[in-house]
Amino acid sequence: MQKLRMNSTGLAVIFLVVGTAIVILEVLVAGAQNASLLLTLVFWVALAEGCIALVAAAELSHAQWILPIKRALLSVYPIILFISILFLFLGFKLDIYPWAAKQNAWLNKPFFLIRNFILLLLAFLFAWKFAVESGKESEKKNRYAVLYILFFVFSQSLVAFDWVMTLEYPWFSTLFGGFFFVESFYSGIALAGILCVWLLKQSTEDSDKLEKTLKDTATLMFGFALFWVGLFFAQYLVIWYGNIPEETSFLVTRLSDPVLGKLSPLVLIALFVAPFTLLLPQRSKSRSGLVQAMSMLIIAGIFLERLIFLIPVVSLNPFLVILEFLGLALLFAAVIANRHWLIRQS
Amino acid sequence: MKSEKVVERTEINYKEQLERDVLAAMAKPNRWYWVALGFSATCFLIGLISWGYQIKIGMGTAGLNNPVGWGVYITDFVFWVGIAHSGTLISAVLFLFRAKFRSSFNRTAEAMTVIAVMTAGLFPLIHLGRVWFFYWLFPYPNQRLLWVNFRSPLIWDVFAVSTYLTVSAVFFYVGMIPDLAIVRRLTTGIRKKIYGILSLGWQGSLSEWMHYNRLYLFLAAFATPLVISVHSVVSWDFAMSVIPGWHTTIFAPYFVAGAIFSGTAMVVTLVIPMRKIFSLEKYITLDHFESLAKLLLLTSLIVTYSYIVELGIAFYSGNVFETAIFKYRMMGDYKILYWIMISCNSLIPLLVFFRKVRRSLPSLLIISLLANVGMWFERFILIVTSLAKDFDPYAWGLYKPSIIEAGITLGSFGMFFTFFLIFTKVLPVLSMTELKEEHE
Repeated sequence: MQKLRMNSTGLAVIFLVVGTAIVILEVLVAGAQNASLLLTLVFWVALAEGCIALVAAAELSHAQWILPIKRALLSVYPIILFISILFLFLGFKLDIYPWAAKQNAWLNKPFFLIRNFILLLLAFLFAWKFAVESGKESEKKNRYAVLYILFFVFSQSLVAFDWVMTLEYPWFSTLFGGFFFVESFYSGIALAGILCVWLLKQSTEDSDKLEKTLKDTATLMFGFALFWVGLFFAQYLVIWYGNIPEETSFLVTRLSDPVLGKLSPLVLIALFVAPFTLLLPQRSKSRSGLVQAMSMLIIAGIFLERLIFLIPVVSLNPFLVILEFLGLALLFAAVIANRHWLIRQS
Repeated sequence: MKSEKVVERTEINYKEQLERDVLAAMAKPNRWYWVALGFSATCFLIGLISWGYQIKIGMGTAGLNNPVGWGVYITDFVFWVGIAHSGTLISAVLFLFRAKFRSSFNRTAEAMTVIAVMTAGLFPLIHLGRVWFFYWLFPYPNQRLLWVNFRSPLIWDVFAVSTYLTVSAVFFYVGMIPDLAIVRRLTTGIRKKIYGILSLGWQGSLSEWMHYNRLYLFLAAFATPLVISVHSVVSWDFAMSVIPGWHTTIFAPYFVAGAIFSGTAMVVTLVIPMRKIFSLEKYITLDHFESLAKLLLLTSLIVTYSYIVELGIAFYSGNVFETAIFKYRMMGDYKILYWIMISCNSLIPLLVFFRKVRRSLPSLLIISLLANVGMWFERFILIVTSLAKDFDPYAWGLYKPSIIEAGITLGSFGMFFTFFLIFTKVLPVLSMTELKEEHE
């Protein structure tokens, strides 16, 4: 991580290189029918926006426990801009959507691109303003926190309803949007867990405070495991019980597939069973190794879940998925390593 | 040395003052209290008479018909279960989140929860018609070896609501034990004996506090998922069907948010006059109300989000029945109630964004009263419109509540306020031990 510390030009170059590589691979190599870019966007936008949303919610409720990891979490805000720009290149691939053949007032290519781009951009702008003001501890920070959370919710809801749900138009689930923004928040908590452990290894100064933050993050993670499964169950039960073919198609497609049917329960294990049971004992919430493992498992679970959402309906290139994953992971590591100048403290 | 003594003296003064003020609230009631109690009890009596009349004459006295078989009674049921929510939210969830403002409200909110669940629990019985057969709902085989239908969400409700009532009551009581011991110390005669029994011989030793704190934390953690589960189950009474406007996945979290919204509004409605009447301004401050107002705003925004999503997805789906029901709600026979609902639940609470509004008690009182009106109408709209016009135009029909249903609804409010007024006189209205702890 220390090697990634650089000035603004260096960081901009890294962003440019990764961005250009992804665009070249996606537009020139992969072709219009390949949706690897969509998977990358759907996963990383959740993680990036979730980190800022976690800090915004903590600031609004006057939470003190977030302070030791606040800067690291806030420093991911440039990624939202990166994703907003990358999203525009999805314009080349909109034929993956079934509605592209028969467009209507809501589902048409230009409007789809414009509304989502504007929302992502606004989410970025408020994330940026919030991150700067929060670093300075100015009075304006709460105002930006509220605005950010509003746009976070709208943006994540559209990620769910527009980017993913319309792949199977006219299938719908009203909870899909809520499920996505809660999951995004959950992934932010998971990243906070990883950051706590990483910072604990780095410094000895704030280790007392960081240990407390680690415990609180783990407690929140535990709570969200339960909350997540509550939402999952609320969605699953209504569809299963209603047993209407046009609703159950989404589940049947995935659960009746020989591979996906076996992979799907893993999502439930990663996002609920494992964090819930292993973080249940009080002491386990202070064990850094365990918290780190659970955080990684949760992030992996969310990735797997989104993979399962996309696989049956679009074609993905595993090589591109891995490369893009590594590229975005590098960008995350780079911004966090440069948090000192990205988020200036007063 | 001298300053230390002064600090110590102030501490003692605060604690003594707090105990005196809370005990004063429990003292002999004044005339206004009797007037309020008399009024509430009269309403309660009207409700009982209406129910008695319905039992004697039959369910025909209610305005229920075919197709609208669920009307005001189910609306009342959902409304009161909703009110019951914020008690546990303020107590348990905010306790787990270490939000300190809870200690000024938690006792009132918990009492409200227990009373509201009791009120809510009556409505399925009232709706049942032949209420003397209510025990058939218990999950054991009757004389003909018939079991209840476990796959019916209505039976899940029986489990959910009774579990919630049990846990809320235990949580309410356990949280009160140290305070009951204080009341025991400060009273005499028969009252001392009663509070002595109720406080279970609490001495306040270190070991007792250790066990108490563990139990309280455990109960808070146990009650939190219940807050979510009970209203989710209530929402599934509707969502498990395939009726347009009911069968939708967002119902569970949307109902929970709506319940917390209405419950928080009710806490504000109750605490503002209570604070004034019992002169508790020192302990329930404007800052506390501001925090509660923010909670109100948050839940109002979640409810508004759900309205938008439901409506948006209905049109997105292109499903004619879904689209028709939402158009009907907005522009049909019950449109006035729908727009009252939108104004009270989504638009007026936005005023809380202004600092001046959320720090003004009269405005907060008005907003909270309107929120409760809006939430009652929300349930009414949701239940009645979907049943009135479902799939087959041949089977459509309108519903108008009868005077008996209005009487029973009035009675439920009467019951709620009667019990609440009794609570303020027999139990400590503030959590003294927690306020002392917070002061330290």
